[in-house]
Amino acid sequence: MQVREYIVRRLLTLPLLMLGVSILVFGLSRVGGSPIGIYIEHEMSPAEVAQLEERYGLNDSLPQQYVAWLGGVVRGDLGWSGVSAAPVSEIILPKFTATMELAMLAALIAVVLGLSMGTFGGARKNKLGDHLTRVVAISGASIPIFWFGLMLLIVFYLGFGWAPLGRADPSIYARISHPTGLYTVDSLLNLDFGAFTDALWHLALPAITMGYGSTAIIARMMRSSLVEELGEDYVDAARAKGLPERLVIRRHARRNALMPTMTVIGLSWGFLLQGTVVVELIFNWPGLGRWMTDAVLQGDQATIMSYVLITSIIFLVVNLVVDVAYAYLDRRVVLGG
Amino acid sequence: MGWVMGGSAGAAGDVTKRRRVLSRWALLAAILLLAAACDGAATDAEDVGGEESSGGEVNNPGVFVHALDGEPTTLDPARAALGEYGEQVIIQVYEFLVDIGPEGPEPIPALATEVPTQENGLVSEDGLTYTFPIREGVKFHDGSDLTAEVVKYSWDRAMELNLPEGQASTLTDTIEETRAVDEFTFEVTLQEPNVAFITSVVYSTPAAIVSMEAVESNGGVTPGEPNEFMDGNMVGTGAHELISWERNEQLNFEIFEDYWGEPAALDARWQNVPEESAIVLGLRAGDYDAIQFQPTFAAELEDAEGIVFDTGGLLLEPFQLAFNLDIPEGVLPGGDTIPTDFFHDRRIRQAFNYSFDYDAFIDGILTGLGEPATYIPPGVLGYDPEAPVYEQDLEQAEQLFRDAGVWDEGFSVSVLVEDNPAFEPIGLILKDSIEALNPNFRINVRTVSESQFDEAHGTSPFEYAMWIKNADPFVDPHYYLSTYQHPEGEWGERLGFANGYEDPDQIAELIDSGFATTDVDEREAIYSELLPLLYEDPMWIYPAQEVNAQAYRDWVDGFVYNPLWKTLRWRFYDKG
Repeated sequence: MQVREYIVRRLLTLPLLMLGVSILVFGLSRVGGSPIGIYIEHEMSPAEVAQLEERYGLNDSLPQQYVAWLGGVVRGDLGWSGVSAAPVSEIILPKFTATMELAMLAALIAVVLGLSMGTFGGARKNKLGDHLTRVVAISGASIPIFWFGLMLLIVFYLGFGWAPLGRADPSIYARISHPTGLYTVDSLLNLDFGAFTDALWHLALPAITMGYGSTAIIARMMRSSLVEELGEDYVDAARAKGLPERLVIRRHARRNALMPTMTVIGLSWGFLLQGTVVVELIFNWPGLGRWMTDAVLQGDQATIMSYVLITSIIFLVVNLVVDVAYAYLDRRVVLGG
Repeated sequence: MGWVMGGSAGAAGDVTKRRRVLSRWALLAAILLLAAACDGAATDAEDVGGEESSGGEVNNPGVFVHALDGEPTTLDPARAALGEYGEQVIIQVYEFLVDIGPEGPEPIPALATEVPTQENGLVSEDGLTYTFPIREGVKFHDGSDLTAEVVKYSWDRAMELNLPEGQASTLTDTIEETRAVDEFTFEVTLQEPNVAFITSVVYSTPAAIVSMEAVESNGGVTPGEPNEFMDGNMVGTGAHELISWERNEQLNFEIFEDYWGEPAALDARWQNVPEESAIVLGLRAGDYDAIQFQPTFAAELEDAEGIVFDTGGLLLEPFQLAFNLDIPEGVLPGGDTIPTDFFHDRRIRQAFNYSFDYDAFIDGILTGLGEPATYIPPGVLGYDPEAPVYEQDLEQAEQLFRDAGVWDEGFSVSVLVEDNPAFEPIGLILKDSIEALNPNFRINVRTVSESQFDEAHGTSPFEYAMWIKNADPFVDPHYYLSTYQHPEGEWGERLGFANGYEDPDQIAELIDSGFATTDVDEREAIYSELLPLLYEDPMWIYPAQEVNAQAYRDWVDGFVYNPLWKTLRWRFYDKG
């Protein structure tokens, strides 16, 4: 099967998968109880609660509520966010772009550092360099992200005053337009390099915190894969040909070691996104993670369901990208064959 | 071949080595350049935004940054619930006919030029009609003018909307009719005389004056339906006007240049910071000028450089543990063994009050920032510092449980509590206190989210024997008593107080008579008679009342706070 056919087939099945997810999400959310809780204020009488239920259509049957909700989703109406006091559709995009910007930089840090550290360690198996990278990797996997983030804040924000809190300096943020919602990209589009630097400066600590755990996972996988590849016969042949060790690693071993590592990189994306909740809370980042935390704690089902749908789409797309990357890396792989 | 390879390998090796060295130096140079650029850009940011951290200079000059762990769910005075964050924003941007000044609690003129009294003739002799002379020349943020017609419109709008989540009943339960007598005279007729009308109705969130022009241009008034424009926008007459609201992040306000009174010195920002550690770090770093914080951080803030930690007075929201005296059969959670009339016996309720470890809560959870609570808080008319309050007395508690006949058999009862850093520990302290008394006693603390708690509160019948919350703040003592003590009040009816009071008619009569007279001395005398009766026949446990603790940067000038405001009032502050 050609790659193009494979992509088309995956995209065609995507809506069916989304429909299934929507039924599952809606059903599970209702199992947890009525969504009326987010709209109730304290000490409301039963009559007042009934009034609210009528306003939001929550006294209709469950299938009717599902159809109404799904119809709204298709029209772009994702419901009213109780935790944000605004339509979900107005809030979700700015939250999404804020989280994506943070997640992408964190992922970039994780991939670059992880691959570099893994290569560095794998090429120096059981030597000092390998041990050092192992310590860094283990600490990344075991240090609680909450604690790590707070320590960075205490040292670099409160202590040295090098890093700021939040997403942006409000006065700088307000002076540029935001066509994409990605502060870094928007600042470049506005040719405002002060804003670009402000964006990076605010991204630094949360991105490092968020990416540290994934860095460890990627580094360990890369190291293990590289060590395994360096024991293969083709590597011995390359060495015998007189290639410097550096080229042996770069041109031969590392490429093959990337294969299993790419899978881990794809899976670590989900692990990385898990950290959004804690990182956004600590660094006061106005993203999806923080928003979702409030929504879950307050039972804001409209927000929860929208978030689950969107993250499902993201996960499916990312996995599709990983599968396509596989095909690029190893031409022998026949997708879906 | 070998020597060719060797020779070639040697030359290739030198080249490779040189390239490696060069690339490392290039990387180092790039890092240094980037660091220099970032430092320069950070300096630019400081020049533009003033965001210098941990420095001695004033951060964010020109802006008062108030950091809190939440944000409004609506900005509409007709929709904001009592105690909700929206009220704290509404008071900054909207105004009322009267206000409470920093020295309060006496009301002072605001959008009305006089506070109506019988002495100045603006209250009729029968106490039913109030006349408000409206201040001329007042502008709304959209440029429209304040008139009596706009005042009438604002109040009528709140009553007509009558949103269940709002506080319209504050108006609808009191007001018979509103009239714009002329362009600058507004008149109100009450359903019956109300001694607390000015402080508890006129000075209440639903009575905030909104721009008629703004509302009519943006959806108007549809009874029972919220106005989406008013939920997210504000057009008032206050010293600050809303500029933007980035959801779950911040609200930005600017000085209203055409304000009728003394203008604010600073713009303002409400910064939403849900993480407690981050909010404290932000104050210490100087990014925030004042914060809302949990008592657990008091020790850190007290000694922090550049921070003023101010404690003075008490908040007007005492913590409460409720007894349910109206439990139908079969509604309690499985595991509860108490009979439905368990709390009818006042010995049981007294015993619970004597069991609770008040010191553990005040000294432990509140870190000393609390005091024993009374039925009328300090600063409110009728407060009596000599009024009896419960202290832990385990011997007395045991005796009362024995006298009530539950000692040997024991009991198990659930307490519903909202997931909150103060409420949940109250439940756990009660559990420890009661269970330590007798191994046959069991308290099940059921912690739920705020929305689940509010939903449970809205059920009828109420499905728990006990729950924990804090009282709403009121200006007039009548509302503390009618809401939380009166047998036919809001909670008296729902929780069946008449089943427990030894003489419910006497309690009701005293509470009603305290409201029927305008004579302050007479009211105080009535409440002095009432409070010991409530102590003997308690319908609640009052674990404590929080101290009013504020933490702000030492560069804030003119810091004042009145608990009746429920928040800081930004227009009074400046930065030195």
